[in-house]
This record gives sequence, structure tokens and C-alpha cells, in this order.
Amino acid sequence: MIDRTKELIVVKDLHKSFGSLEVLRGIDQTVREGEVVSIIGASGSGKSTFLRCLNLLEVPDAGSIVFDGQELTGKKRNVDAFRQQIGMVFQHFNVFPHLKVIDNITLAPCLEKHMDKGAATQMAEDLLRRVGLYDKRDEYPTRLSGGQKQRLAIVRALAMEPKVILFDEPTSALDPEMVKEVLDVIGELARSGMTILIVTHEMGFAKRVSDRVLFIDEGRVAEEGTPEELFENTKTERCRDFLNKVLY
Amino acid sequence: MLQTIAAIWDKYGYVYIQGVWGTIYIAVLTVLLGTVLGTLLAFVRLLPSRILQSVIRLYVWILRGTPALLQIYFFYFFVPKYLPFDMSERACIMMALVVNASAYVEEIIRAGIQAVDRGQTEAARSLGMTARHTMTRIILPQAIKNILPALGNEFIVMIKEASLASIFFIVEITSAFKTVQSATFITIPALAISGGLYLLLTTVLSFFMKMAERRLQIND
Repeated sequence: MIDRTKELIVVKDLHKSFGSLEVLRGIDQTVREGEVVSIIGASGSGKSTFLRCLNLLEVPDAGSIVFDGQELTGKKRNVDAFRQQIGMVFQHFNVFPHLKVIDNITLAPCLEKHMDKGAATQMAEDLLRRVGLYDKRDEYPTRLSGGQKQRLAIVRALAMEPKVILFDEPTSALDPEMVKEVLDVIGELARSGMTILIVTHEMGFAKRVSDRVLFIDEGRVAEEGTPEELFENTKTERCRDFLNKVLY
Repeated sequence: MLQTIAAIWDKYGYVYIQGVWGTIYIAVLTVLLGTVLGTLLAFVRLLPSRILQSVIRLYVWILRGTPALLQIYFFYFFVPKYLPFDMSERACIMMALVVNASAYVEEIIRAGIQAVDRGQTEAARSLGMTARHTMTRIILPQAIKNILPALGNEFIVMIKEASLASIFFIVEITSAFKTVQSATFITIPALAISGGLYLLLTTVLSFFMKMAERRLQIND
């Protein structure tokens, strides 16, 4: 059951620098279960870094992240156990080229959750049917189009039964004609009640599926609100500027 | 010329055959042991210890920056003197070649691992896979495709480098030439036979390497 009042991710005063470059300058956010949050902003604003901090692909310099009631940033934590609950989908798909489509999906559940091979295969086949890739189950990913690879990457993440999925510009590397098939899968996932954070340049999509939109500028959340609030009644100058540049 | 070659081969063919076996023996053993040692070094270098990394960088720097012949002399004169047990000349020379090969193999393996896209590691770790599983199940199977061809080249280099052992009269193809030459005083034809035998070995090896590479590339 989805408990929409439950705070799944609580981020407090998150800071991150790369060398002398301060990328995140204090982000406070709470994401509730089942919420779909879009993150928009110019490139270099820190939106991807923020997302990557949430599963510790980047280790924050300061601040705290509490995931499902547990401190992620504390010492002695088992990072792998957390990451199993936090799916991630990348801009460049990062499917495993040396494994067949089906094995891309079953590898992690079998290895890390000690799932029985038969059950994992069954689950993977169900997932592949859900995204229309069942007939590709025994292909290698090189034989897939960009859109198909990204759909595979999404179900690979789903196979770990995560509590949230982070999408890092999932359609930015796709040919235009393949954007829709991927967005459709993400949209369906959003409707199914999955908690989603998505960094995206697809403003129409953000408007349609999000419960909340964050505009990140210079390492801070400069503006946030429902899609209506943010896109139609933009409050800050910076956000209006940005939207004027991307909506043409 | 051809007649002379045929005549030499008739009489001294067995010397060359022994030489071929000697070269194969040295090259195979050097590559195998050099690969084991080089792999070990590559993994140690990937550990997050600055000191160990520096030690291995120094090791590679010295061995790749000095001639193999010099290294063989070093092992030939130095090692038997300070080891508490007897070592044959051949073992000393082999040891030098193994150590030399290990430095090159270390670089090959490290480069092969680092050439795998960072996104692969990130994807595996973000699924919650352990560092160990990420290495063994995701990175290494892909790195192998970068490593094997380079390792094959190293094998070819070793076949030729084994000729350095002829200076110490260890049986291999170049020594065979020296033996025949000093018995017959015929130089060029005797040399031509050795050259032909090297070409035969390296060509056969390249052929098998190409086959192996093609099989590895099926999924690319």
C-alpha cells in the first residue's frame, strides 16, 4: 500500500563541491511515498549531482539524507543495501553489453537478493512483457535501439523492487522518435504509484506527470511548486528566464 | 642458397626443432607466469592504497624503462649469488623474462579494466551490487575483450624476446642458429632458417589470436 503521508526521503542542507566548484549549496527537500518530483534547471545547475547524491554515487560533503527513516550519510552504513532500494536510470542507459537482455535483469536480484533463478526469470519476463521487450529476451543489448535499451534499463532497476527510482535525464541521449516510448513507460510507472525523482528537459512531460516540480539554480532549489504553479505562475525571475529559453 | 638451406636442414634440422621447442617453452612459461604476476600487480594497484600504488608504479617504471637484456644480466649475476639455494642459468633467465613481462601485463590489464565505461560501474553499484560482484560480473568480462588481444601481442613479443636467452646459450631458435653456424661456418642460410621458424611461430599465433578476437567480438 502506498502511504502518501510517509516521508520517504528527507534531505537536509545538502552540500557538495568538486574541487573549488561548489555544486550544491544547501538543498532541503522531503519526498513522500508515491510522489513524482521533476527536477529542472540549466545544465551545470547541480540537478544531476543532487540526484546522484541520493544514492551516494556522489558522496555529499555536508548535510544529511534520511531514506525510509534511516540515515544514509552516517558512518558504518551498508551502502549496497540502501542502493538496492533506490533504483537509478541513466542518460546513457548503461545496460550491460556482455549479458543477454534477460540476464541484464536477473543478475542483480540473483546475486544480491539471492533470488532463485527460476523466480527471477519469471519476474524478468513479466517486466519485459510490460515494456514490450519480451521478444528480445535472448538478444544482446547491442541489437536494441536506444529507446529499447532505456526501457531495459528501467525494468532492470524495477527488478530490484526499489522504493524509489531516480531518473537522470532518461531521454536526453535518445533519438527524437524514441523519446515517447520511454516517457510512456515512466508515465505508467508514475501512475502505478512508484516514487519518482526525474531530472528532465521534457517540460511537457514534467507538467503532465509531476506532483511537484523543483527548479534548481546554482546549487539551490530556487523555486518549487505544482506544475501549474511553476509553469504558469512562475514567481522567480531566474525560473522565468529558464522557461523562456527552453519553451519555444 | 635453397640447396644449402635444404642441406643444413637435413643435417641439423633436429637442432632447430629443439630450438623451436626451447623458444615455445620459454615464451609459454613466461607469458603464463608473467600474466599471473602481472594480474596480481594490476589488482593490487587498483586497491585504494597510495603506498602500494607507488611501489607498483616504480616497479613498472624500472622494468619498462630498461632493456630486457640488462634485466637478464642482472638476474643472471645477482640472483644466484644471494639466493640460499641453487638456481640453474635457465631459471635465472626465465625469472628475468617473467618479471619483465609482468610489468607489461600489469599495464595491459589495468588499462583494459579502466577502459570499461564508468557508467557500467555506476549502473551495477546503483543496483546495489557489491564492489566485488561489480568487478567479477560486470567489469572483468568486458575488460577481457580489451585485455586478450594485447596479451596475445605480448606473447608474440615474448617469442622474440626469448632470443635474448641465446646469449647464455639456452636452447632456443637463435641459439640453434649459433650452434649450426659455428659447426658449419655457413651464416646466411643458417640464419634464414631461424628467421623462417620465428615467422612460422608468430604467424600461427597471430592466426589463432585473430580467431579468438573474432569470437570475443560477436556481441559487440
